[in-house]
Amino acid sequence: MTLSHFIILSLMLCAIGVYGVLTRRNLIGILLSVEVILNGANLNFAAFAHFRAFDPTAGAVFPIFVMAVSACEMAVALAIVISMYRRKKRLDVYRLEELNG
Amino acid sequence: MTLLLPDLLLLLLAAIVMAVDLIRIRPLSTVSFHLSWAGLLIIFLVLIVLPYDQETIYLGTYKVNGTALLFKQVFVLSAFCTVLLSGSYFTPGGNARGLLRYRSEFCFIILLCTFGMFAAVSATDLLTLFIGMELATIPLYILSGYQKEDSLSVEASTKYIIMGSLSTGFLLFGYSFLYGCAGSLSFEAILAFAQSAPADPLLRLGVLFVMAAIGFKLTIFPFHMWAPDVYDGSPTPVTAFISVSSKAVAIAFLLILVYGPLAPLHKYLQPLLLILAGATMTVGNLGALKQKRLRRFMAYSSIAQAGYIIMAMAGGAEAARSSIIYYLFVYAAANYAIFFIISIAGRDGNEEFKSLQGMGRRNPVLAAVLMLTLFSLGGIPPLAGFMGKFLLFASAAQQGFYSMVIFAALNSTVSLYYYLLLVKEAYILQPATSSRPLVTDRIQRAALLLLTSAIIFLGLMPLFSSNILAVVR
Repeated sequence: MTLSHFIILSLMLCAIGVYGVLTRRNLIGILLSVEVILNGANLNFAAFAHFRAFDPTAGAVFPIFVMAVSACEMAVALAIVISMYRRKKRLDVYRLEELNG
Repeated sequence: MTLLLPDLLLLLLAAIVMAVDLIRIRPLSTVSFHLSWAGLLIIFLVLIVLPYDQETIYLGTYKVNGTALLFKQVFVLSAFCTVLLSGSYFTPGGNARGLLRYRSEFCFIILLCTFGMFAAVSATDLLTLFIGMELATIPLYILSGYQKEDSLSVEASTKYIIMGSLSTGFLLFGYSFLYGCAGSLSFEAILAFAQSAPADPLLRLGVLFVMAAIGFKLTIFPFHMWAPDVYDGSPTPVTAFISVSSKAVAIAFLLILVYGPLAPLHKYLQPLLLILAGATMTVGNLGALKQKRLRRFMAYSSIAQAGYIIMAMAGGAEAARSSIIYYLFVYAAANYAIFFIISIAGRDGNEEFKSLQGMGRRNPVLAAVLMLTLFSLGGIPPLAGFMGKFLLFASAAQQGFYSMVIFAALNSTVSLYYYLLLVKEAYILQPATSSRPLVTDRIQRAALLLLTSAIIFLGLMPLFSSNILAVVR
């Protein structure tokens, strides 16, 4: 297990997440894909802190902040998804078509 | 501690606004509204009298210097105008999309969002920068869906949060690679590493991710698609706030990184920035040509303006910093003036081009202000917009990018065409049906007077503040 393995894994997670955001039709699925990207970045931080950094504490603390921030973001996102469900009765992104032009 | 005073006052103000709402005596009181704008005005006055030539670092991560204070001025003025602009949307009448409610929560969220922007421009390491950017962005998702009975507003906030959280993911990847190659989160360590090994692949990868992420927030060309939808769907005061404050914080972010830790990479970034700037202004200008709804029109206009601003970032540090901050003031004044006019013209109706028709007869003063503001946005000489664009172009020209400057000037001509379309609606076309008189209240008149005089004053006397202009020295 070297640093390259971890970087490749995290970049794969990023690619999976972006693929999910682009192809999922369900809003919850899109939010899950975003979480996959964020966790890929967290893995990156932890791997760099372990293998390369002369300041490993910073790399270990950063993912904790990321988790807190992404929890806030998901709280807001779920609130928006709920109000969207109340308006449109479905969570399909293809319903997001009123604004165009 | 004096340099930290505006930040502390802002937090205090937010707490007071929320507390007043909790203990309010009669419902629907406007206390929080008046408290917010008065408090923001006081914070702005405090910001003006602070010294701009000092630099202090608090707790090792929170740096306050002249540049940060100037950006804070922009943010405070923008929040001030947004609070004033929101006034008419909370009083009965509103517009066709319905009345906004929960006024003190609205002011509270605006204030906290502004505090996040304060934190972002004061950062000296990636962690503070990340937290600041998120504090500045998450409230905007809430605000854009503030009219939750309106399906357009909900749709706008859904689109915004999906694109925004995706960009946060990219930003984090960028940060992790920057941290990985420098081994530390502080800007100094990253700067030292970038100087020793500017061609390191991890560093390049990190910069690429960060640029993509900031492209979303700044509506740079391939990532601008969300902007028209979000601007169109959000409540109008929120659209104004997003178009000025959120753009200003993204520009501040880019300035901090490009001329701070990534300064050794600047000559590699120059071609990238120029290509992005050219594409962004072209896309914005072409998109604005066919719009019929005012908020959507403003979205494309602000995409084009972002293009001009990024172009200045190809210049040297001093020139770029001063010209961009000057332009942000000019852009904020013109944008808010237009949004005030939109809020007056769209009252009880829709905010479309049609609602401007016959304004020259119905309210000649308002029509004159609209014309002046649009000329400033288009860059007609005696007004502030011309001076702002001139300085931006000069910043790129100093580095010898003359063809880019010519391209931008041509683009600016195209933009003049669609700004004049609005003037045509206001002066030449007459409404088909009989129109209501345009009512303005005291606050709107005062705000428009201030913004208009700022547009004229900044254009006639660009040298009044030595803090802003280092470029023409």
